[in-house]
Amino acid sequence: MGILRLSHVEVRVPDLELATAYYCEVLGLIETAREPERVFLKCWDEHEHHSLILRYAPTYGLDHLGFKLQDADDLDRYERSVEKYGLAVTRMARGEVAPGHGEAIRFTSPTGHLVELVHGMEKVGNLLPLTNPPPRPQGLVGIAPPRLDHVFVTAEDVDEGTRFFREALGFRLTEQVLADDGARLAAWLEVSHTPHDIALITGPNGGLHHFAFWLDDWNEVRAAADTLAYHGVPIDVAPTRHGATRGFTCYFFDPAGNRNEVFTGGYWVDPDQEPVTWTEAEMGRAIFYYEGVVNQRFLTVHT
Amino acid sequence: MGILRLSHVDVRVPDLDLATAYYTEVMGLLEVERTDSAVYLKCWDEVDHHSLKLVYAPRVGLERISFKVEHDDDLAELESRIEAYGFPVRRASRGEEVGQGESIRFDTPSGQEMELVREVDKVGGVLPRLNPPPMPMGLPGIAPPRMDHVLVTAEEVGEATKFYREVLGFRLTEQLLDGNGHQIGVWMERSHSPHDLAVVSGPNGGLHHFAFWLDDWDHVRRAADILAYNGVQIDVGPTRHGITRGNTIYFFDPLGTRNEVFTGGYRPDPDFPTITWTEDNIGKAIFYYEGDLNERFMKVHT
Repeated sequence: MGILRLSHVEVRVPDLELATAYYCEVLGLIETAREPERVFLKCWDEHEHHSLILRYAPTYGLDHLGFKLQDADDLDRYERSVEKYGLAVTRMARGEVAPGHGEAIRFTSPTGHLVELVHGMEKVGNLLPLTNPPPRPQGLVGIAPPRLDHVFVTAEDVDEGTRFFREALGFRLTEQVLADDGARLAAWLEVSHTPHDIALITGPNGGLHHFAFWLDDWNEVRAAADTLAYHGVPIDVAPTRHGATRGFTCYFFDPAGNRNEVFTGGYWVDPDQEPVTWTEAEMGRAIFYYEGVVNQRFLTVHT
Repeated sequence: MGILRLSHVDVRVPDLDLATAYYTEVMGLLEVERTDSAVYLKCWDEVDHHSLKLVYAPRVGLERISFKVEHDDDLAELESRIEAYGFPVRRASRGEEVGQGESIRFDTPSGQEMELVREVDKVGGVLPRLNPPPMPMGLPGIAPPRMDHVLVTAEEVGEATKFYREVLGFRLTEQLLDGNGHQIGVWMERSHSPHDLAVVSGPNGGLHHFAFWLDDWDHVRRAADILAYNGVQIDVGPTRHGITRGNTIYFFDPLGTRNEVFTGGYRPDPDFPTITWTEDNIGKAIFYYEGDLNERFMKVHT
């Protein structure tokens, strides 16, 4: 019952061929469908039709982000809770959004993002058999993350955005950065018992800071950095650790300029867990624990 | 809603001081509370009162497995479902067990005593909630952040599985079938991990092992260093499971109860398609690198 996890993100790219080549050959995702202006991709261990949609557009940035619903009647329930919050909701029939897509509702969050909740996306299976499977497939190319993990977006009013995701959608706050005057500068929110499924940081409404793929451990993060450097991908922040989430990370940019992350680590979250608070003075360590400072590009560049 | 995760494992030990020394100094758990006949321990990142209870008894064995439920009304709902299935349920009031509120207790078809609890005293993690470092310094031993899962034995795995799925709402992630298609091992979850509870063929009421979570394979390797340094008997590993894809070491506490350290796996959604292993692949299913089970792993339980 309810929102399970991040389902997919759709991002704009001005060069569909270049972006597809990058996401397939460097990131190591798998193309599952293609239209003239859209390409659908998934990670190797994901069972559903797509977790990343690339859309041709003259500029870069986020088209929408989607969360997976556990049950069909969750669609009605969230339609009511989002409308009660005062937002308009659009209903999308099965397959209307995309090939293989489920039934969905869509609305624009107070943070200016087009958010979708989807149920019943087509199952295409992971790359392993369901009888006597090896623990991972052989011959994967590139970084080959097993799955999409979370999305990080910008909002003018992080506090209002946090309130919406908690009250209307049932997300739980795991961590936050508070300014000296008490204003909430950043918030990490989850429904999947992980440190975050979505996070908000102060910036323009509707902005995408990054979306992140899960890796199994720190050694995979290091190997990912090797792969990125080999291919000449611009690395924003080399492998390091977050204070907030405790995760291990590497940030980099796709050829269109959308920021990607590979992420591992973190902790299990009970629903009644008390949030962790970071003060403004410690924001450097909250974001990059080893460096203790945040580079200017990380704070100012988003799409 | 329903069962959230494993809460605590209660095991009997004939030497409380020896067991406590091992679990605090080699495993690196924290002693939270002690009575004349029991010691309560937790892992460093757990905020609940305890995840392991050592109970003094003349013989080793499993006293009880406790799972945490999410909502207040889950206890009453699960109580009526368990009773409807034909198993008597006993209420344990606050104060009957150290560190927790009211719970329900019952015997499962696989012969273990199980407890479901909602309210657990929060003693807090080792880290502050304001500007915390990602891990504490100076922890002794292996220092796992948390308890992960438990594996028990049952004469009729299929019958036990039916109870755990239909009554308690566990979801079947993987199963091992014999040549006749009967379940001889099952892996079940509530926490979107490969398993919170697993059952393999063996005597009713038995404990095969309980497992602590480690963050990665490198932490598993370091755990093996610590175990070997302290002369702890390693049963298997470090190696990898086919089932769960986890990375693992099995070893024995000084009284003979099997422990595991575990990491890896995957994230199953509730609609995850069950993975099936056939008996002719049992070696790889359990130990993917060796492809073979040692006799001790099959026979020894408590």
